[in-house]
This record gives sequence, structure tokens and C-alpha cells, in this order.
Amino acid sequence: MSPVIYYGFTLLFFFAAYSILGWGLNLQFGEAGILNFAYIGFVAIGAYITGVTSMGKPPQGSGETYMFAARLPFPIGLLLGGLASCLLAVLVAFIAFRRLRSDYLAMVLISVSLVMYDIINNYVPLFDGADGLNTVPMPFAGVLSLNANSFLVFFAVASVGIAGVMWLIISRITRSPLGRTFRAIRDDPDVISALGKSVFRYQLTAMLIGAFYAGIGGGLIIEFSSSFNTSAWLPPETFLIFAALIIGGLRNNVGVVAGAFVVPVLFTQLPKFLPDIPGHPGLILNLEGSVIGLLLIVTMWFRPQGIIPERPRRADQLIGTIRSRMRRGGEPAKVVAE
Amino acid sequence: MTAAPAASTPPVNVLTCRNLRKSFGGKVAVDGAEIDVPQGIVTALIGPNGAGKSTVVNLFSGFMVPDAGVVQLDGVDITSWPSHRIARRGLIRTFQLSRELQGLTVLENLLVTPTNQIGESLKNIYFRPGKVRRQERQHVERANEILNDYGLYGVRDNWARALSGGQKRLLELARAVMAQPRVLLLDEPMAGVNPALVEQIGAHILKLKSDGVTVLMVEHNLGVVERICDHVVVLAEGRTLATGRMSELRSNAAVVQSYLGGVLDARLDS
Repeated sequence: MSPVIYYGFTLLFFFAAYSILGWGLNLQFGEAGILNFAYIGFVAIGAYITGVTSMGKPPQGSGETYMFAARLPFPIGLLLGGLASCLLAVLVAFIAFRRLRSDYLAMVLISVSLVMYDIINNYVPLFDGADGLNTVPMPFAGVLSLNANSFLVFFAVASVGIAGVMWLIISRITRSPLGRTFRAIRDDPDVISALGKSVFRYQLTAMLIGAFYAGIGGGLIIEFSSSFNTSAWLPPETFLIFAALIIGGLRNNVGVVAGAFVVPVLFTQLPKFLPDIPGHPGLILNLEGSVIGLLLIVTMWFRPQGIIPERPRRADQLIGTIRSRMRRGGEPAKVVAE
Repeated sequence: MTAAPAASTPPVNVLTCRNLRKSFGGKVAVDGAEIDVPQGIVTALIGPNGAGKSTVVNLFSGFMVPDAGVVQLDGVDITSWPSHRIARRGLIRTFQLSRELQGLTVLENLLVTPTNQIGESLKNIYFRPGKVRRQERQHVERANEILNDYGLYGVRDNWARALSGGQKRLLELARAVMAQPRVLLLDEPMAGVNPALVEQIGAHILKLKSDGVTVLMVEHNLGVVERICDHVVVLAEGRTLATGRMSELRSNAAVVQSYLGGVLDARLDS
């Protein structure tokens, strides 16, 4: 197969992984109104835990040091990554959610991600500091006797499958009364409190689900690239995912997919495969930030609701049964995820 | 002191406060207010601007914690309870400025209201979708009836943010009704609406009363108070100045001097 096909599968993988990351942040920010500027930290915890629980003990003399070493099969390591991220979410929620309004909460969260970054970067015994994890095994490579190329194809396809499952899970939440309560809290937490619902409990739930998505996405990324270090999750990376949400369409899981395709795939990963402009090596990659910034401004100017905007949920969709549609005598409503 | 409602049985006070105090920095907003809200009737809370009316509503509903004093709902001390816990005991409040949930449709504004919805639990969403849907259908039916009563049925699938100012006031009240309150605190439910809508909202409040809901409303329009409120509490400088029927209060010298003055007769005549 030609290299172009492998590039294609690499992009397909990042498309799937960033869709998952986008759904998680959309649930936290778009639905529940939690301005989680520490999101990339949750991605990183998922990645690290998935990594160390699949690598086993560091080989003698390799110089690598990390905690929680285990050699667990891939799906379990991935789940542990997601759960570790949830654990972090509980800690953050109990520290920051009870007393803080959303703008102050955002500042606390950005500090959380910076503190995490500094600790992991400098405390080498934890996840091998700035060198990071470099010998993450390729899942199923032994069983299916895959080489580096066929693994890439296999894992990209597998990730699309996982993303499909994650899609089913998240779209059911956003359609449900739970998702509606999240959105209500985003609009006005006081009203929801005055109606007898504990805002903290719902925000914690949204935080947990979003963190699980971050952890799973991070786990997939480390398994795909076999290595992960602090340069992969500089705190500004969070804003790449925010940009994807805003450009694609906040509060709409389909819009999130569109955003994941445009921002992380088309404007971040794809340029890495483009040939250099003669005489200006590296120019394309260095322009990345500016181009995404410009894209964000253009979106805000011409299509502030994003590529695929949120649509009001009509009464018949809320009940969503064939019977009620028939009774109304109308043609069956198109089944939409949102 | 408290005027008895027309019923022969003595009034039961559902909501009471004793010696309620709240200050913000050096400013004393509520200074020992004592308020009784009798069951099953509409009580008005009136007083000049800055008398502490909105603060009282916030203290009753758990949006503020009093510096001193006791608030009781059905004889249970609810002082300093968090707002959602108070609401779960059947005390629902509205806000002085309409606070519609902008990113939800009008129908969803009502549907979000019931507590303990089956579909708010992750487990049920995945493993009991039929049960979730059945309850959802019941809620939609009830919400449709309320929206119909409040003239909002035609716009039920619109974003709440797209409503007119008057419709937002109606939605504020309709959402509170959806919560099936036993006690309803209305913070200026008729602020900034036209006379026709004032009548309409007044009729809705009387309908709620006939359904057995106890209402405490902050209101400046004394004509409205006279027409729909059975009992009036006058608050001035954070203290309870007088209580009684509006007609009695018109002849109360202290009330007239402190608040009503010449305004009272002018308003009532209009």
C-alpha cells in the first residue's frame, strides 16, 4: 500500500480520537456549562494510566521510571485510563465546584492543568518526566501478528469502532432528561436550584462523564503512537479542542464530529504530511496556530453557531416513539441524534 | 393582628419567620422581620423600595443565609437550608427578572422542572428507556396543559430566548406551576407587563389559590394587591410594619405615613 493510504488511516485515527475528546468536552462545557480549561490534563491522565498499565515493569537498565506498572490487556488498560481520569474529576469537583462561580472555576481549572503539567514534567518517578513513556506495546499486534503498518490500519479501524460505541453512549445522554437538566444548569444554575435540584450533583456527573471521555481518548492516543510525553499535552492543547467545538457546533454531537474533522484533522494533523514549501522548512506547521485562530474569528463572524448548529428539540422528538408519531398523524420524524 | 381568612377554621401559617435579620456590609436589609403566611390564600408583601422584600424572598427560599432568626415551613426549621432542599419540600420561588432557560425550548423549560425524574439517572437512561419514555410522556402531557392555560402552547417548540417580555413572565410562572408547589413565592410577578397581562397573571394566581396553593407575592401595584390578595404584610426598613387586609391598611396611619402616603388613593382609584 502506498504511504498516502497510511496517512489516510492516521488521519482517520485522529478523527475518531478527537471526536471522542470533543464529545467529552462538549458534555462538560456545551451541555453543563463547566468551562473546563484543564481538559487536556484529563486526557493526559488517561493516556499515562493506559500506558503504564499495559507496559509492565520497566526493563532493567532502560532508565525509564514510572509508577502503577502492570501488563494488562488493552481494553482493561484503556478503561483504567478512563476511570483514572474520572478520579481526577472527583478531586477537582470537590475542591473547586462547591463554592466557585463559573469564571473563577475556569481560572482554578487552568491552574490545575498547569500544576499537573509541572508535577508530571518534573517528578520523574511518576511517569518518567519530560522523556515520557516510549515503549507502549501495540495492542493485539502479537495476537494478530501485525507489523507497524498493518497495526496502524487495524488500530485506526478499531478506534472508529470505539468512537461509534462512545457516540451511542453520549447521544443517549444528551437526548435524555439528564442532558436537559445539564443544559438548564448551564443556562441558569439558580433556577435549577430553586426547582429543587442539586446543581453540584449534576455538575459532578457531567464532569465525570466528560473526564471518562477524555481518559478514553487519551488512552487511544498513547496506544496508537506508542509514546507519550509532556510535549504532547501542553496546556494550550485544551484550546484546540475548544476551537473544534466552537467551529463545528457547540451542543451538537454531530457538530462536534464536524469540528473534530476540521480543526484537529484538517488543520493540525494533515499539515504534518504536507511537503514543505521550498525555502521555508517548517513554515506550514508554524502557521498552524495562526490559521486556527483565524478560522475561529471567521466562524465567530459569519457562523457563530458553528458548522452544524444546535437545533431545538421538538416535542415529538422528546417523546421519540413511533407510536406517538403515528398518533399525531404526521410522517415519522427523522431520527436525529440531537 | 393577623387577619383571618373567610374560612371558619383559624388560619394555619405555612411559612413563618421570627426575628429575621440580614445585613450586607453596613446596610441592614432585614431587621427583625416577623412574617406569617397563612395557608391557602394569597398574601402580599409590600413596602417601599429597599424595605427588604426581595431579601426576605431570598432568605425564605435559601438563596441567602440569614444573620439571625428562624424560618419555618410547616413548622420545620428550614433556616440556612440549601435552596434545592427547600424547594423539595414544596416551596417554589420565581425571580424578579424573568430567568427563562434560554437554551431550552419553552416546553423543555417546563419539562426540566419535576424533581426525581427517572431519566435523570444514567442507569435508567440505558437500562430502562421504556420507563423513562413513559414518564417523559406524562410530563409532556402535563406541560402541554399548563402551556395551553398560559397561552404558550403555540410557541412550545421555540427557544425560550425568542419569547417576548410578557411571554417570559408567563413562562416564569408556568414553570413554577409545573413544579407543583404547595407554597409559591412570587417576586414581582407583574413587573414591567402591560395592564391586560397583569389581569391575566392575576387570574392565574387566583386559579392557583383555588387549587390550594399558598402564595406569597411581592407586589408594588396596590390595585392588584387589593383585588387578588387576601392578606397583606407591610415591610419598612426591614421590619414588619403592619399586617391585615388592604382595606384595613388604608386607614392605618403608620402605613400611610411610611409608605402609601397619597399614592394609595391615587393608585386605588385608577
